[in-house]
Amino acid sequence: MNNAIAIGRVRRTRRRRALRALFTIYLPVLPYVLFALFPLYFMLVTSLKSNAELYDVHSVPFWIAEGITASHYTLLSAETPFWDWFANSLIVSVTATAISVVLSVLAAYPLARLRFPGADSFGVAVFITYLVPPSLLFLPLSSVVNWLGLSDSLWSLVVTYPTFLVPFCTWLLMGYFRTVPKEIEECAMLDGCSRFQSMLRILLPAAVPGLICAALFAFTLSWNEFLYALVFVSPAELKTMTVGVFSELIRGDIYYWGSLMAGACIGSIPIVIAYVLFLDYYVSGLTSGAIK
Amino acid sequence: MATSSIGQPRRQRRRQFLRTAAGSAAGLAGVLASRQPPAYAQARELTFLTVASFVPETDKELKRQLEEWGALNKVKVRLDIIAHLQLQAKKAAEVQARSGHDLTALGPGLGDAELYFDHLVGLNDVAAEIGRKNGGWLNPDDYLIRGTWTLLPWWQPPFPMAVRTDLLKKLGEENPDTWEDWLRIGKKGKAIGHPFGIALGHSGDANVTLLSILWSYGGSYVAKDGETVTINSPETREAMEFVKRLYTEAMDPEVLAWDDASNNRCLNAGKCIGIHNPISAFESAKKDKVRVPGTQQPIAEVIDHLNTPRGPKGRKATTGFWCVGIWNFAKNAELAKDFLRFHFRPENLDKWVEAGHGFNMPFLNNLTRHPVYESDPQYRHIPDVAKVTVPPSWPGPTTAASQQVLDLYIIPDMFAQYATGRMTLDQAISWGEKEITEIYRRRRT
Repeated sequence: MNNAIAIGRVRRTRRRRALRALFTIYLPVLPYVLFALFPLYFMLVTSLKSNAELYDVHSVPFWIAEGITASHYTLLSAETPFWDWFANSLIVSVTATAISVVLSVLAAYPLARLRFPGADSFGVAVFITYLVPPSLLFLPLSSVVNWLGLSDSLWSLVVTYPTFLVPFCTWLLMGYFRTVPKEIEECAMLDGCSRFQSMLRILLPAAVPGLICAALFAFTLSWNEFLYALVFVSPAELKTMTVGVFSELIRGDIYYWGSLMAGACIGSIPIVIAYVLFLDYYVSGLTSGAIK
Repeated sequence: MATSSIGQPRRQRRRQFLRTAAGSAAGLAGVLASRQPPAYAQARELTFLTVASFVPETDKELKRQLEEWGALNKVKVRLDIIAHLQLQAKKAAEVQARSGHDLTALGPGLGDAELYFDHLVGLNDVAAEIGRKNGGWLNPDDYLIRGTWTLLPWWQPPFPMAVRTDLLKKLGEENPDTWEDWLRIGKKGKAIGHPFGIALGHSGDANVTLLSILWSYGGSYVAKDGETVTINSPETREAMEFVKRLYTEAMDPEVLAWDDASNNRCLNAGKCIGIHNPISAFESAKKDKVRVPGTQQPIAEVIDHLNTPRGPKGRKATTGFWCVGIWNFAKNAELAKDFLRFHFRPENLDKWVEAGHGFNMPFLNNLTRHPVYESDPQYRHIPDVAKVTVPPSWPGPTTAASQQVLDLYIIPDMFAQYATGRMTLDQAISWGEKEITEIYRRRRT
């Protein structure tokens, strides 16, 4: 009897907790989740609709009424070098991210750890560099790319992307490095580590969330970049996905909406995977620098 | 005397060897010093940057011709295609770096000839030859910038009126011919949920249609001298009053936010009764098998194309003047000229126009009579529209200032500000006059 009462009480408590969670957490969060996921959902739905339905003003735009079609994906794969563009984007983004994160670590460490005249000003200057818009920089950079003989090659992007990735990653990593107690490094140096060794063996392992956060940002920025990829690379087979899709699927006043959305859906997959895999690191990397 | 295996004295072979070796060393030193491979080792390559055609088959035919020319001349060729909206940034970067493609598409508008005058190769000889072979250029004086040919006008998409014939019939109307006819039909159409549609926002279509209306009512924004700003006139007022009525009585407010694709969508979605646009909307409706809403009837079957409308002072229209030119920093300017001669041969232009279903009309007399315009009744008025098509600066010459008036959408803004009631007629015209005068003044100094 007592057991039954106890079990009933536990159940009621559980139910009450579940209800409380539903009303205080899940339901309030739901609109934000729907808002955030809506573009992805709309892209997916549009990419699977027939052209006839896309143009039909009487059809509901939020779901598919007249059957799913893969024709937009087929067009993308069969009539454009989409997968070349995808591979180019991947190569450029991964390479530019790796180079930028390494350079940013080397820049952020002295700015965060070493005391020298003008260290703070350098830190601010690095961030201000990030604020110069690419629409101003692409003209002088086109001269630089040409001078280096890198026009119409993926190397032109690998070289130019760090111009906006390094300042941002440096700034982000400076904040994160400052959250790691310097006493740990000092202990290591007392035990015989050089400055470089202490950075490599002590600081960086402790700053993995920050590094992943910087890498994620750098990868996303590279993946989405448009202007430099447009200006510095012309051959169709060397275009990145952002430029290739735009070039082939917008023809004057004709937009291939279904295929554009199919390209956008496939293009968002690597970013989604990267963020899902490293979400915890990303959040802690972003917030740690803010609460020193 | 010892002889070689082929019977020559050994001494001679040694001399020959020394001579060859010395020659090779000198040649190699020259190559290294000049950092240029010798002429016979240089792979000749012609690169061509163009914009994605509104009808994809056009690009395929252009590529075929480029490859055919390359094979004939043993030249490696490369055709790079970008969306037309990307061309401005690409041109600016190539000029800044003084490196890029040999041949490049220019436009829309002839203004690039003025803006990039110092960076383009003179094409007087090529233009003369092409004109001679194709029955002459349509309006050669319009294409001469600073008295010379620095670009070749390549193609234009004439702007007829696209109309829903089933809706006209429903409203008891015949094919409209004047702008006033369109106002009447638009009013009736709007009442049954099928408004008329012309863009009033920042888009190329808005520039084209509003300039067409302005001229049809006798107005213009610059005089023939290319200096006197003429926008403040009774004719402009009349045109603006007309557009205000068109906007309030025959159209939906969405036209203020329209881009170049919006009117196509409005027609193909079965909403608009008529739009002022090239045949691209019809072509895509055909390709995508779009239906009349609520029926199984293909909408392309109830679309027709009519002449660009007439106003009280006549019939005038403009369009995007797409051009082609050669950068003066091109590595292969002579090859580029040779390809232009090849592409503009009558038989090649024939195939290219055919591939584009008449969308891309060259600025050459013989090509306006191309059989493609008789192959489908839809295209019957396109040559008529081309005859009344003038550059956007008309009656003034094309200059950097006229291009800037277009690029800044001064004309659409002026019309929209009055049509929406944000400004009075006097305020809107004064604003437009001030903007245009300032642009022309800055470009003079």
